[in-house]
Amino acid sequence: MEEKLMSLKNDAVSLILDASDEKTLEEIKLQFLGRSGRLTLTLKEITKVPLERRAEVGSLANEVKQSVEEAIERQKQILKHQTIKVRKQTLDVTNPGIKPPLGHLHLITQAMEEITSIFDKIGFTRVRYPEVEWDYYAFTALNFPENHPARDDWETFFTTEQTDSEKGQIILTPHTSSGQVREMERSVAKLRELARERSETGVDGSKDKLYSGPDLSIRMLNIAKCYRRQSDVSHTQMFHQFEGLCVGENISIVHLKGVLDYFVKSYFGENRTSRIRPYHFQFTEPSFEIDVTCGVCLGKGCKLCKAGWLEMGGAGMVHPNVLTYGGIDPKKYSGFAFGWGVERVLMMKEGIEIDDLRLLYSNKLEFLEQF
Amino acid sequence: MDIKILDSHLREQLETNAKPMDIAKALSLSSASIERVEPFGKDWVYSVEVTTNRPDMLSVKGLAREAATVLPQFGYNAKLLPIKLAHPKKDTKDSVEIHVVNNDKLVRRICGIVLDVDKKESPQFVKDSLEAAGIRSLNNLVDITNYVMLEIGHPCHVFDYDRLKNHTLIIRESKKGEKIITLDKKEHMLSGGDIVADNGEGEIIDLLGIMGTANSVVTDNTKHILFFFDNNDPWRIRKTSMGLAIRTDAAALNEKGVDPELAMEALERGVALYKELAGAKVMSDVIDIYPGKVKSTTITVNNDDICRTIGVTIPIRQSDKILKSLGFEVEQKNGSLMVKVPSWRELDVTIPEDVIEEVARMYGYHNIPTELPPFKHAKFYHQSTNQFFWEQKAKEALKYWGLTEVYTYSTVSETMFEGPLDEAVTLANPLDVDHTYLRKTLTPSLLAVIAENKSFENVAIFEIANVYRKNKTNKLPTEIRTLGIVLKGKEGDFYHAKGLIEQLLSDIGITNPLWKDSDMGGIGAALYLDKVHVGDIEVMDKGLVTAELNFEETIKLATLKKTYTPLAKYPAITEDISFVLPQEIKTGDVIEEIQKQSTLIKEVSLLDIFEQTRTFHILYQSKERNLTTEEVGEIRKKIIGSVEMKFKGKVK
Repeated sequence: MEEKLMSLKNDAVSLILDASDEKTLEEIKLQFLGRSGRLTLTLKEITKVPLERRAEVGSLANEVKQSVEEAIERQKQILKHQTIKVRKQTLDVTNPGIKPPLGHLHLITQAMEEITSIFDKIGFTRVRYPEVEWDYYAFTALNFPENHPARDDWETFFTTEQTDSEKGQIILTPHTSSGQVREMERSVAKLRELARERSETGVDGSKDKLYSGPDLSIRMLNIAKCYRRQSDVSHTQMFHQFEGLCVGENISIVHLKGVLDYFVKSYFGENRTSRIRPYHFQFTEPSFEIDVTCGVCLGKGCKLCKAGWLEMGGAGMVHPNVLTYGGIDPKKYSGFAFGWGVERVLMMKEGIEIDDLRLLYSNKLEFLEQF
Repeated sequence: MDIKILDSHLREQLETNAKPMDIAKALSLSSASIERVEPFGKDWVYSVEVTTNRPDMLSVKGLAREAATVLPQFGYNAKLLPIKLAHPKKDTKDSVEIHVVNNDKLVRRICGIVLDVDKKESPQFVKDSLEAAGIRSLNNLVDITNYVMLEIGHPCHVFDYDRLKNHTLIIRESKKGEKIITLDKKEHMLSGGDIVADNGEGEIIDLLGIMGTANSVVTDNTKHILFFFDNNDPWRIRKTSMGLAIRTDAAALNEKGVDPELAMEALERGVALYKELAGAKVMSDVIDIYPGKVKSTTITVNNDDICRTIGVTIPIRQSDKILKSLGFEVEQKNGSLMVKVPSWRELDVTIPEDVIEEVARMYGYHNIPTELPPFKHAKFYHQSTNQFFWEQKAKEALKYWGLTEVYTYSTVSETMFEGPLDEAVTLANPLDVDHTYLRKTLTPSLLAVIAENKSFENVAIFEIANVYRKNKTNKLPTEIRTLGIVLKGKEGDFYHAKGLIEQLLSDIGITNPLWKDSDMGGIGAALYLDKVHVGDIEVMDKGLVTAELNFEETIKLATLKKTYTPLAKYPAITEDISFVLPQEIKTGDVIEEIQKQSTLIKEVSLLDIFEQTRTFHILYQSKERNLTTEEVGEIRKKIIGSVEMKFKGKVK
């Protein structure tokens, strides 16, 4: 019996070492270890072995079985490696790969995503307000007197919709600032509702008085389409702005500078810096114009910038009249706001020297597919 | 508004060791933006951007005044120098009369004087200043008026005194339809309410504050001038100037409101110049009609509020010093400053915040520290109901499936508006006919993109944007967030569009879209989610398909919720059954029918269509036991039986 087993083992191993593919190995496995395999059948004859020798023979049989199985595995691995070597030789690594599909998001979407992410991290949450808006929210509530130049025909688009006696005409909003008072109204309403639910005393529930209760904290990011009656190489009649509004207790110019610096360094890079200068807006006091150091000369001065600086946009401390329109008591709460062009910061960052801004909205595929 | 000033002209009123670039930098940081400093021969010219609220800086005097205060903050010496004025005393024996009748609702102050003059060319220094400022030099008589405006900041005018009939000026409102010919020889018809001067016979001899008229302007033969200052209602000036499209420097300055206190000083400066450059002799008394004297306001500002707004502790004596250096009169009382506003800041500084701005800008914005505002509360962020989260997810899914995002205009032309025009939210003052109506649908705009890119054979584009629906009166139009898709070329067919939408819905957790035949007329389908019609697919042509989806409505059903289903204990049995079915039978109905035959049927899907034969892939599974071939056989019989009967199909 032992001889038979050893001879089987030798046969098997010899066949295995000769095998040149996995199919052959499978056949050998069946031949020896299958239900009617040679080893299996031989093992059945173990009953013919005298009892006292059965354990010894049995142990040898198992050893043989294991050796054959291991030999098969080893050979499988060897064959695998050979296959790889062969495949490698017939592989041209410079041939094009088969790519899955990849489309493109518009540059504006990419910019808005990045801007949103940056402000997200310091607690500014994104909102959406009407594009087609009342004159009230776009101008009146932002402290524009009735005959202010900005309302005139040549900047703002008016609709033919009926005028409301209180809210004025329906227009296409020329700036994201129209979201400021809406956000304030919403925040105040929410606080009053919560107070009513808790039936707290001490919180002024009356709608007529300005909100001077606790917990008012606004951090709004409004990114939206704006419309102005201008169309040339650096203006499109539809464009995007992003507006930030921060209202709370003791919000000051220090905080405005903080948020500004955080955004500029995050979006443009830590080798860029910003500054604020006096300016004028109806809805802020003090008002500022923001400059960022030029990305090309990094502030030293060059052909593309003004003495090392590029204008980014405007900002300011929220005018007390605007807080009042928003239903907030300016004696208790203060805030700052900023409004910048998405296209503008995009151009300033990428150094995408688009010679005509209208190209961004031309939807030429050979342009869009570059990004 | 921009103003251009020569460095040499500025230094006539400002003594400083600061160089032009230093002055530019200091003023930019604290007062007004100096856009450029450019050489002008041996001189320099500053291009200053002055905001609408600071007309007091639209002159050499105004800028010198600011510079004198600002420069010391930056470590330079600076001192204001006096301007050469001439007190107008009559110095001819023959004095003349001039009658001026004012309307104090229209004009706040009138100053005037009649001079005997010699008209000639202006000297170089006048020409230089005017040229730098972009004003054309004509002759000394006219040039001095522009020079004085540039220097002091109050516009003025010269009439040929001898051409003034009756030597009378009556200030009044124009009547609608009155015609005038301005000094540039253009005729204008007035709309009424404009501020004009009448010569007493109904003839208009000046369009005050904007432009003189041809019938009273100086000519080559002028020997006597009426040197005239009028301080007008800014609102009317703007209305007239814009309405008639006459945009002069004078109008641009007047519409912002000029300090009437400047008028007399400017007149005296002018007289000095006429004496120096035109041999002038004073022929009349000075006219000064001043009904609208500046009422000085006092604003009380708490120093704590100054510190709170700026975010820096500024001691009250520092605030006091800063304000005084700017020309404010200050008194302190119990931590508050009582601030009296000077005449040239009358319209600009009216509330405490305006005073705070003055302190802040002089303290130096660059000196203010930088800190993020501290958090006390935050808006709760619920990802699953956040519209921006879903929108970005959808956009990225579409991007990774090969589509390109486009941004088309919200306003469209008549042909691109889908529907009767009286349903459109319409612009009253569009820029062009292609952008007049707010669109109700996205598809036409997207098809226009396809047309613009004809050279591309295979195109897949999308856009998520608002469409606009007119609403009842007194309500804003409804804005609906919409997804539009266009597929062109190899994959520009119905099934690719359907698959794309279903996959998109699946990615946002919506797994039960219902497709029905479109009732829009063309070839396509209508999509229903929970019985709401949310969108449509339309086959436009061979190789061109469009889809439009109410994204807003769709994301109401979007969900990230995942529920765990325990893994199947018992294996499934699958098989394919083919049926020959008439063309008009809908696959969806067959699947529904098959599914009805047993609860053990877990999945039915269409595997293949070949000519008239449809092959269905069926999966049987039980949660409790292993299914036997007999059981499955029973169910199969039922399936075959019902399909053959209901749909007249034949099993293969």
